Amino acid sequence: MIKIFSEIFQYRFMLWGMISSDLRTRYKGSVFGFLWTFLNPLLMLLVYGMVFKTVMRVSLPHYLLFLFIGLLGWNLFANSIMSSVGVINRQSSIIKKLYFPREILPISIVLASAINYVLSLVILIPFLVISGVYPSWTWVYWPLILIIEVIFTMGLSLFFSAINVFLRDVEHMLSIVLMAWFYLTPVVYTLTMIPNKYVQYFKMNPVAGIIVSYQDILYYHLPPRWKLFTYSIGISLMVLLFGWAVFRKLNRRFAEEV
Amino acid sequence: MKKYHVEVDSVSKVFRVHYGKNQTLKEKILYAGRTKYKEFIALDNVSLKVETGSTVGIIGVNGSGKSTLLKIISKILYPDKGQVKVNGRVASLLELGAGFHPDFTGRENIYLNGSLMGLSKKQIGYKIDEIIEFSELGDFIKEPIRTYSSGMYMRLAFSVATALDPEILLIDEILAVGDAAFQKKCMDRLKQLQKLGKSIIFVSHNSTDIENFCDVAVWLDHSKVREIGDPRRCVGNYLRESMNRANQGNSTLTFDHSIEAESD
Repeated sequence: MIKIFSEIFQYRFMLWGMISSDLRTRYKGSVFGFLWTFLNPLLMLLVYGMVFKTVMRVSLPHYLLFLFIGLLGWNLFANSIMSSVGVINRQSSIIKKLYFPREILPISIVLASAINYVLSLVILIPFLVISGVYPSWTWVYWPLILIIEVIFTMGLSLFFSAINVFLRDVEHMLSIVLMAWFYLTPVVYTLTMIPNKYVQYFKMNPVAGIIVSYQDILYYHLPPRWKLFTYSIGISLMVLLFGWAVFRKLNRRFAEEV
Repeated sequence: MKKYHVEVDSVSKVFRVHYGKNQTLKEKILYAGRTKYKEFIALDNVSLKVETGSTVGIIGVNGSGKSTLLKIISKILYPDKGQVKVNGRVASLLELGAGFHPDFTGRENIYLNGSLMGLSKKQIGYKIDEIIEFSELGDFIKEPIRTYSSGMYMRLAFSVATALDPEILLIDEILAVGDAAFQKKCMDRLKQLQKLGKSIIFVSHNSTDIENFCDVAVWLDHSKVREIGDPRRCVGNYLRESMNRANQGNSTLTFDHSIEAESD
C-alpha cells in the first residue's frame, strides 16, 4: 500500500497534468466555456426548483437554497462516477504503451470534480448570504465532509472503472442506478419527510449521511449528526480500501483487455 | 550500485485470443463457461539478466515475443509466471506516438511525455532546449504533432526519452523510421549513454547494429530464449536458420505454440 502511495506521489506531476487538462478541456469548444461550471448547477437548480417548489409545493423555507446545497454535493459524487467509469477504456492508447500507476486516471477525475465543487462555491456562498443565511461556525466542518465525500467517490470510481474494462455493461447500468440513488438520497426532500418506518433504511445509504451533513452545517447551522456521519466515514474508508484492492487486482490485465 | 539493472526470472506470459468476445452481461450469462479462446504463449520461461551498464540486443522473427518482453520489463504487461526486477528509472521507446497527444504542439508534448515519466515541469524545463535542438525539428516544434511524419515523431520521442536521464532505456525498433543521418545521430547518442553507464535493451532487425553495438545478444525463437551470448555468433546462427526456413518455405508464422481452451 505504502509503495503505491509513494509511486503516485512520484507521478504527482502527471496527476496534476491530468487534473488541469480535465478542467480545461471539459467545456472546450462550447460558447460559454468555463462558465458552464457555474451555469450547469444553476440550470439544474432551476429545473428541480420549478418541479418541487412550484408544482409539488414543498413548504420548506428557503427551499431553493436547501436544494442547491444538496445538488452540488450530489453532482460531485454522480459526475465523478459517470466520467470515471469508462476512463480506462478511453485512455487505452496510453495504457497499452506506457507505464504509470493506472490509479491516476480515475483519481484525477474525482479530484477535478472536487475542484469544480470548490469553484462552484463562488455562487453558492453569495446565494446563501443573499437569501439571509449567514456564515456560521458550523461551516468549519465543510472541508471534513468534502474529504469524506471524495474518499467515498474515489473508492467507487476505482471499483467501477476497473470492473468496466471486463464488463462494459457497468457503464450503461450505472446511469439508471445513479438516478434511483439520487431519489433515495435526501437531496430534494429532508430526512424528516421520510415516513418513520422507512427512515432507518434511508440512513443506510452512506451518501445520505454526507448530503445531510452538508445541509446540517450550511442550512440548519447545526454540527453534523455524528451517528449518521461517522457511519458514512466508516463506509467511505471501507469502500476506498475495497475499491482500490479490486483495482490493483484487475489492473494487471488492463493493457491486454482495453 | 546494483550489479543488475534488469533481472527477468523464468517469465511466462500467455495471451488469450478470443474469437468473438462475450463482453456484455447478456452474452456472459448466455454463454457462461462456453467462451472460446485460444491461449497464445507469448513468452515461455524466459530468463535474462542485464548487467548494469551493458547493452543487450534482442533478435528474433516477428511474433517471437520481443515486444512482449520489453512491455513486461517496462511493467505495461504483468507476467503470468516468474518475476521481473527492475532497479532504476526506465524510459521506453516502444511504439511511435506513445504518450503524445496529437493536438498538442511538439513543445507541449515534451512536457506531457516528461510528466508521464514522472518528471516535474521544472526538471523538463532544464532540458527542453537540448531536446529541441537534438530533434532538429526547428519550426515544427510549434506545430501540433498530428502534422508530423513518422520520422518526425521518432525524432521527438527519441530526443525526449534519451535526454531525461533514464538509467535503463528500452527501444523497440522504432529507429528504423528515421533518415540515415538521424539514425547515425541516434546511434552516437546511444554510445554516449553506454559510456555513462546506462543500460540499454534494444530490439532491432538491423544485424549490423546488434553486432557492433551490443555486449550481449538474445535470440528469441517461438517465445523461448534460443541463444544468449556473443552478438556475432547469435546473429550468425539466427540469420542462417531463418534463411534456411525461408528457403524450405516454412517460415509462415504459426499458432502452434498455443493451446485450445474452453471456459472463461
